Amino acid sequence: MGKLDGKVACITGGTRSIGRAMADAFVAEGASVVVNGRDSAKGQRCLDEMNAGERAAFFAGDSSRQDVVEGLIDFTIEKYGQLDICCLNSGGVQMTAPVFQMTDEEWQLEVDWNLNHVFWGMRRALQHMIPRQYGRVIVTSSVEGKLGKPGIPGYVATKHAVNGLVKSAAHEVGTLGITVNAILPGIIETDIVRETGPASAEAMGVGSYDALIEMFCAESAIKRPNRVEEVAAVAVLLASDSARNMTGCLFPVDGGTLPY
Amino acid sequence: MGVLDGRVACVTGGTRGIGLAIASAFLAEGARVVINGRDPAKAERTLAELAAGDAVHFIAGDVKSRSDCEAVIDGTVEHFGRLDILVANAGGAADFAPIVDLPDEPLEDALRWNLWHSFWCMRRAFHHMIPQQSGRVINISSVEGKVGKPGLSSYVIAKHAVNGLTKSAAKEVGPLGITVNALCPGVIETDIVKEGGAGAAAAMGLTYDELLAQFASDSAIKRINEVEDVAHVAVLLASDAGAGITGSLISIDGGTAPY
Repeated sequence: MGKLDGKVACITGGTRSIGRAMADAFVAEGASVVVNGRDSAKGQRCLDEMNAGERAAFFAGDSSRQDVVEGLIDFTIEKYGQLDICCLNSGGVQMTAPVFQMTDEEWQLEVDWNLNHVFWGMRRALQHMIPRQYGRVIVTSSVEGKLGKPGIPGYVATKHAVNGLVKSAAHEVGTLGITVNAILPGIIETDIVRETGPASAEAMGVGSYDALIEMFCAESAIKRPNRVEEVAAVAVLLASDSARNMTGCLFPVDGGTLPY
Repeated sequence: MGVLDGRVACVTGGTRGIGLAIASAFLAEGARVVINGRDPAKAERTLAELAAGDAVHFIAGDVKSRSDCEAVIDGTVEHFGRLDILVANAGGAADFAPIVDLPDEPLEDALRWNLWHSFWCMRRAFHHMIPQQSGRVINISSVEGKVGKPGLSSYVIAKHAVNGLTKSAAKEVGPLGITVNALCPGVIETDIVKEGGAGAAAAMGLTYDELLAQFASDSAIKRINEVEDVAHVAVLLASDAGAGITGSLISIDGGTAPY
């Protein structure tokens, strides 16, 4: 008996790191999961590793595109007949530059990936969830949704915006059996962070990737990075019936970094 | 197999309401639990309801007393051999009034009940947790630890202070394997709220039912919370999965608090 028996979830950016940890945890609790990612080969490897049979599927595409995000929602409903849990998880630092040097095109990339993707996915998911009077929307935000760091203004601004979107939506659907929450992880050494970290470190003026990780750890109370499993455990709670009365919550998983 | 197998917890104000729900959830996950309360007769009934045998133990004490708080912590260690999880859950306020008319005593009482109690229990618990390099402290705060309501200032002040204590303590013991968090529930119709609610409502110029309706209306879910909502989050924080969450003020308020 799992906490999510019979539930159906979809996860943007679900083949690796945080999204993957959520997918594994959801499957372990009895849910069926559609994971999304850009790379079909990675998607296949992810399904092989998950070894969840009919309870896992992959949907290929870039989640910063509207047709992909909406396609993921529609595919999930088509395949499993319903969508109970929509995890809008993908995102990251794509463009690093101080505000005075950032171009419109770079800014748009950050907005599409981190904010518009969440809006497109949430809107489509809610259109399905509202008639069913049931649903869970879980957005992977960040400590940068409440704080700020130099050199990554697009990431910081879009994560703040996502938190606002979550709170507004929570109030809109609060009486309809649907909750909308954000999880705010501290630094986690995910694949995305390993890939983009060196550029972020340079933009922030901290020298190296290792110095970047150390800086985030130093700002926390636990003096270590967080772990993907710590985020996944919170996602399971928020997805379960136990959290039916938690909504509009910005849930930190940041080792004590955020001041509020 | 529970997520708290082998753990020992201490829950102040554990004979009813939120504390009882937490104690019950901890027991279901394999922990051994000390519940504290003022009234041994009430505790008898609670222990009978829990029917958890040797896994649960009652220690009488008034959390407004430092020596009682310390005795509850020490008594837990004495009885079960260790202390892994402290839930400083007791709290409340009485004799509400607008600040302009508020005497010192109700504020002092609210501080003692909510802030000093949490501080005394936490300080003593750290003496046990720091040497073992592991521990969980969960303070039951309130949505009133993040927002204000007219007429309820003693409670609002005390719960804001508890949140400050939580954040400072989290930074102090963060590298030692100990987490300190606060749960901030919206209003729940516990016995304490039923007892003190009329007075609080009067200070706000409302009836008790109007008070509950106003809290529900402030939320996104338009209903008040339930004790189990809080217990589920407490289990997560107390478990190994909660190791990376500290210094957090987690809202369990149906979308009421703005941050």
